[in-house]
Amino acid sequence: MNTRLLMTLRVTVATPQSVGAVPHGTRRTVPLMGGDFEGPRLRGTVLPDGSGDWLLLRADGVLELDFRATLRTDDGALISMRSFGLRHGPPDVIAAIARGEAVDPVTYYFRTTPRFETAHPSYAFLNHLVTVASGDRRAEGPIYTIHEVL
Amino acid sequence: MHARPLIRLRLTTAATEEIGATPHGILSIFPITGGSFEGERLRGTVLGGGVDWVTAAADGTFELDLRVTLETDDGALIHMTFTGVRDDANHYFRTLPRFETAAPKYAFLNRLLAVGIGELHADGPLHVIEEIL
Repeated sequence: MNTRLLMTLRVTVATPQSVGAVPHGTRRTVPLMGGDFEGPRLRGTVLPDGSGDWLLLRADGVLELDFRATLRTDDGALISMRSFGLRHGPPDVIAAIARGEAVDPVTYYFRTTPRFETAHPSYAFLNHLVTVASGDRRAEGPIYTIHEVL
Repeated sequence: MHARPLIRLRLTTAATEEIGATPHGILSIFPITGGSFEGERLRGTVLGGGVDWVTAAADGTFELDLRVTLETDDGALIHMTFTGVRDDANHYFRTLPRFETAAPKYAFLNRLLAVGIGELHADGPLHVIEEIL
C-alpha cells in the first residue's frame, strides 16, 4: 500500500456528553470546539458548529469513532469530512489517555478512514480519495495524520 | 502509513440489476454468487447472498457499498463490508473493508481497519486487502 501525506488535522474537543449504555455499547458524544489542518495541497480551519465525534465503546473494549467535521480552507471552500475509526490498547494506556496524560501514540491502535465531500472545484479531487489516518490523542483533542491511499 | 497483507479476495458476480438514475446517481446492483479469499492468517470461501451496490456519479466515478459473508476453511463466518471508490479513468479502485466475527480465533478482525486495492479481471474483481498497522 502506497500513501502520501494529505494533511495533519488538529482538533480541540469540548466537554463530552455521556449518553451512557445503549444497545451496542456505551455512547459518548464529543463536540469539537475548532481546530486546523495543513497539508501540501490544502490548509484551513475546522468549523466548531456542527463538528463532533460520536463514540461508541464496545463490549470487547474497542472504541468506535464516527467523526464528522466541516473544514474551511484558507481560500474559503467548505469540505465535509466523515471518518470511521477504531481505538484500543492495553488497559493502562487507555486509562492514562482517559486521565488526560500524554501517551506515546505507538502504544495503542488509533486509526481512522476519512472520506471527504466538497462542491468546490479546486478541491474536487478529495471527493474520490480513500484515505487512512493515524491518531494521537492529546488532552486538548486528537491530532490526525491523514494519508491519501495511492 | 504501514500495512501488512491480510487477504486476497476474489468475487464472482451474477448479472447486474440496473436500478437506473436515482437522486444519488445511477445505481447498479451486483449480486455476489461466491468467491474465495486467502491470506496467511485466514482463508476460505465467499458465500452466495452478498451484494455490491454501485452508484455511478455524474463525473464517471463509482461509489461501492458491499456486504458479503466469508466462511473460513475451519468453519467460522465473517461479516465483511466495504465502501470504496472506482475511478477507471485514473485507474483508481480503493476500498475500506471492515469485518465482524464471533469466532474467537478471528476476533483480531474486529479490531483492525483495512484498505483494499481493487483490480478488474475478466473472471471478476480481485481485492488485495491490507491491514492498516
